[in-house]
Amino acid sequence: MPAAEEVKSSWADEVELEGGSLPPSTEVVENGQKIVTEYKYTEDNKKVKIIRTYKIEKRVVSKSIALRKTWKKFGESSNDKPGPNPATTIVGEDVYMQFISSKEEDNKPEDEGLDKLKALGDKNVVKCRVCSGDHWTSKCPWKDSGIMAGKPLDDKKLPVPGVPGAEPGKPGGSKYVPPSLRDGATKRTDGPNMPRRDDNYSAIRIANISDSTTETDLEELVKPFGPIHKLFLAKDKQTGLCKGFAYIHFKFKTDAAKAISRLHGHGYDHLILSVDWSKPSNNQ
Amino acid sequence: MKPIILHGHERSITQIKYNREGDLLFSSAKDNKPNVWFSLNGERLGTFNGHQGAVWCIDVDWTTTKFISGAGDNTCKLWDCETGKETGNIKTMSSVRTCMFSYSANMAVYSTDKAMKQPCEIFIIDVRTIDSSFSQQQPILRIPISGPRVSSILWDNLDEMIITGHESGEINQWDLKTGKKINSTKEHDNLINDMQFNKDGTMFITASKDHTAKLFDTETLALLKTFKTERPINSAAISPIADHVALGGGQEAMDVTTTSTRAGKFDSRFFHLVFEEEFARVKGHFGPINSVAFHPDGKSYSSGGEDGYVRVHTFDSSYFEYNFDY
Repeated sequence: MPAAEEVKSSWADEVELEGGSLPPSTEVVENGQKIVTEYKYTEDNKKVKIIRTYKIEKRVVSKSIALRKTWKKFGESSNDKPGPNPATTIVGEDVYMQFISSKEEDNKPEDEGLDKLKALGDKNVVKCRVCSGDHWTSKCPWKDSGIMAGKPLDDKKLPVPGVPGAEPGKPGGSKYVPPSLRDGATKRTDGPNMPRRDDNYSAIRIANISDSTTETDLEELVKPFGPIHKLFLAKDKQTGLCKGFAYIHFKFKTDAAKAISRLHGHGYDHLILSVDWSKPSNNQ
Repeated sequence: MKPIILHGHERSITQIKYNREGDLLFSSAKDNKPNVWFSLNGERLGTFNGHQGAVWCIDVDWTTTKFISGAGDNTCKLWDCETGKETGNIKTMSSVRTCMFSYSANMAVYSTDKAMKQPCEIFIIDVRTIDSSFSQQQPILRIPISGPRVSSILWDNLDEMIITGHESGEINQWDLKTGKKINSTKEHDNLINDMQFNKDGTMFITASKDHTAKLFDTETLALLKTFKTERPINSAAISPIADHVALGGGQEAMDVTTTSTRAGKFDSRFFHLVFEEEFARVKGHFGPINSVAFHPDGKSYSSGGEDGYVRVHTFDSSYFEYNFDY
């Protein structure tokens, strides 16, 4: 490490180093609270201040317990200060006791039931009032978000690929078939009605994403629409930043269609998303 | 409720136990240092350093002065609770699977595994005075077990007999005066992982790999209640203040990586003692729960899991207000 410090030539860095000694940690006890302030460096050499607040409680206990409270710490804990050591004692996240009203409910296999419902497709049993999706209104992922405002979903207008009648080979009604769509036409065509490989059916392409987007962000964005099979975020090899587009493979086509209709034109991270069915690459 | 997470172990928890007053919580894991914690704020009092193998079992006497631990390094050690110093060391021929003080803490029992051509055996030792001659001292009683090995053990309240749970699901009572088996029952089909008394020791609950927990009468070994689940149960505890039973389990550690956490069902489950019906669950662990224990005041409980964490839960008011509908 000393060698690395010598190499540093920027005066700004040196100033940083001079002020680098950490202020001592303080402990203040006032009106029933102990406030511990600590300073330390994080992994990337940033100085952080940690303030921990403990509530001090007085309890009346039996003599034997009170005596045990005065025992000295031993073993691995012999160097610990009084009070819980944050390295070994962590306050967990809130958990709740889930009360179960009836036994039958509990044995129901949730996942399979949902999958079956999804597979049924349009025969929706449950209809959401917010987005007309096949879930209860209270469970709607768009309940609180502004995405759905004034943009109700119309299932019939969904650009679902591969529906009968939209087959490019037999355009209903019109006799004229554009050369690009005739059988044996070159494969350089691109259009929403392109026949595609089976595994591409439920893939969508999201473009115009900001470069700071990560896979997790993306997953959060598309997760509410339904189960995802695969998620690909194009990233620059050097910088690791997002290149601005991503492909999502949904498990079900209806979910994908829903995602397109709702995410297209949706403002996300100061940019407006453009979402469409994923088009097969040109060299196919 | 906000659980306190105790992260003192590097490997999966094997057993957790409160002392009689409940101010201290002892935990052991497959790493080699049992820990002791203040149950109220989760502060670690200390670690018992000295074992060289996985610690399988621990117990503390009723005055919280002596602590016993049995480990996979073929030793059973006695410790001073206040200082964490090792006071006694008994070498065995195979790993020590279970250990427990008698109620008076004049005696202790430990059992060894059937391994390395050694039979499974139960040893009763005198622990009134622990000095330099302790490790050479002969046990008061040795009971060799020819059948399936002992996987859990309990003393009765009068220090007159011990109850053992076996690998096959069998439960036996042994008379200490004669060293003979006086009663036996086989209600479980698989290994009994854990046995715990209710508050007054008149009943005990077993936790078995056959997906059930069963309540037995201590005196007669009569089966009283059966709590059914759909996964192996590693530990079961009876609430000291309510007719509630807490069960901890999950599928076996070796199968964990092949199933999702949701299918694993790693939550602690609460059953009504009398109606044998589940009424509540608490989530939290990332792996199966290996040991559960109620605080002796019944207002909190702890669970230790395969994930290496001990979680101390203090019940919300909703738990005390909950009334079982019948």
